[in-house]
Amino acid sequence: MSDARVEAETEDGRVRIVVRGEVDLQNAGDFEAQLTEAISNRATMVSIDLADVAYLDSAGLRVLFHLVDRLATLQIAVELVTPLRSPSRRVIELSGLAALVPLDPPA
Amino acid sequence: MSASFASHGRAAVDRLRDIETVTHAGLAHLGVEELLVELLDRVRNVLNADTAAVLLLDGPNEQLVATAARGIEEEVYQGSRVPLGRGFAGRIAATRRPATIEDIADADVVNPVLRENGVRSLLGVPLLAGGELLGVLHVGTIALRHFDDDDTDLLQLVADRIALAVTVAQSDAERKASTLLQRSLLPQRVPRVPGLDVAVRYIAGGGGTVGGDWYDLFTLPSGRLCIAVGDVVGRGVKAAAVMGRLRSAVRAHALGHQGDPAVVIDLVDRQLRHFDPGEMATAVVAVVEPSFGRIHLSSAGHPAPLLVAGDGPAQYVDLTPDPPLGVKGRARRRTVTCELPPGAVVCFYTDGLVERRGQRLDDRLGLLRKTVTAAPAEEVCSTVMGRMIGLEPPTDDVALLTVRRADSRTEPLEVTVPAVPASLSEIRAAVRRWLVDIGAAPQDVTDVLLAVGESTSNVVEHAYGPAGGVVRVRVELDFPYVVVTVRDTGQWRAPRGSNRGRGTLIMESAGEVAVGRGAQGTEVVIRRRLAVAGSGT
Repeated sequence: MSDARVEAETEDGRVRIVVRGEVDLQNAGDFEAQLTEAISNRATMVSIDLADVAYLDSAGLRVLFHLVDRLATLQIAVELVTPLRSPSRRVIELSGLAALVPLDPPA
Repeated sequence: MSASFASHGRAAVDRLRDIETVTHAGLAHLGVEELLVELLDRVRNVLNADTAAVLLLDGPNEQLVATAARGIEEEVYQGSRVPLGRGFAGRIAATRRPATIEDIADADVVNPVLRENGVRSLLGVPLLAGGELLGVLHVGTIALRHFDDDDTDLLQLVADRIALAVTVAQSDAERKASTLLQRSLLPQRVPRVPGLDVAVRYIAGGGGTVGGDWYDLFTLPSGRLCIAVGDVVGRGVKAAAVMGRLRSAVRAHALGHQGDPAVVIDLVDRQLRHFDPGEMATAVVAVVEPSFGRIHLSSAGHPAPLLVAGDGPAQYVDLTPDPPLGVKGRARRRTVTCELPPGAVVCFYTDGLVERRGQRLDDRLGLLRKTVTAAPAEEVCSTVMGRMIGLEPPTDDVALLTVRRADSRTEPLEVTVPAVPASLSEIRAAVRRWLVDIGAAPQDVTDVLLAVGESTSNVVEHAYGPAGGVVRVRVELDFPYVVVTVRDTGQWRAPRGSNRGRGTLIMESAGEVAVGRGAQGTEVVIRRRLAVAGSGT
């Protein structure tokens, strides 16, 4: 079973989310629900840390694209923490998501 | 000879002969209840009685259960039960002596069914086989009747015949039931785990009565693999039932405590001691890490498995057995860990394989050690059974389970799984293991995993209608390339939904992609050149 754990903490409107595990077609819906639940409309800035994500494919990218789009509408800033050479970095660079959202470290 | 016997003496002797013939032959195919009904009709004739009934002992509950009746059939339909020592039948059972009731009107405790049917007089005798109480046989008459000693002797004679027939029928039924039960409790088929080669042998020894040997192999959500082999002390239905409970217990506790077999064994032990006090069993529980690189084992009084790693000879795992399951007092439980390199073989067995009358156990263990090699699992099982059992039927159950870790350097990976989302992580785990084993660089692993993930997700999402189907993945080394083939037998359709089409891009970043669409399904072949020359073979 694919398993992704999402932990979030909020301080002064800044939401820091840490994701661990794997995201694929099986748990993408659950992953999306966990992410959206962690972010309230009071948030001003969201940081999603994908450093400990062992696997993320286009099912997970769909979730991230959708979330980035939604946060833009809500005027909430977002950044993705995704170390160079990490599994998530690879797909994110391939997908063009990097053009829509700042990466840490930058591309 | 008394008047009552003499009055129908000749006929009675003939009919008794009937009973003998019948109990000896013709009824072998009947179950216990049917057999009894057939015999009770003869009993009524022989004793000139209106009713006849057999109550059999339900040992654990210390009760007699009405099992067959003629003339008072409702006693059976209502499942009448009589505690030992109480009532007419209960007293016969408790004293193991015949008894009569001249007139029910004067009796204190009698089943109301008898009264309602107008039964007045009763004669009952114990059903004894080899000195052991099986139950009670009684006959009744509507007219008042004085049953005398000759009647009693005749009924006891009949009862002994019936007891014999019941014993035979019961042991036959028990044997069939325990065989059936045991078969239903063992895995119907060994699960196919990509990257592992598994084979089993199971032989019920001991002249057809099954023992309590069992084996089990299952995966856990974490990707770990759990193997259990055990042996319940005792034979027959009871041992088979305990075996079934132990097997479920191992599964449940392994699910809850995935890492450590010693913890699993401890919990199973506590469960057995609490819910099945007095039962005892031995078992080995092994947990293989998701990488398949290491195996953790713990033994509860069970002989150590054999391990063949690399080119060396087979060695018994250095596993000092802790006490068996079910032994009083909480025992220390230990786990040992062994490396499981590609191509390694682990061989689990029960003592029926190595114990043989007239031969030293050490010699047998030595023979087994020489017989097990790093060959494919089926071959190992066949060779072991041939050398260890040969032509001599085993007296005890034999369970043998061989697991061989596939060697990625020489063997392609083949995975066939249902095309459902839950299969995706299983496929990735198998492909990741295979890639790591050939020494692929991290970037190769990431890219190939993504390509496999995208192509198999496509099958899951698009290839089949609601009836579903399977997805087949093959990964092989064609140095310096890794070739991944993903096949389905469905109909191709264009991807649906928003934000789609990224999958193809991701696949193409991994290597050269060729897609073949045909009437038989779709085949995607991805060729990836490995980054680091000299990796792999």
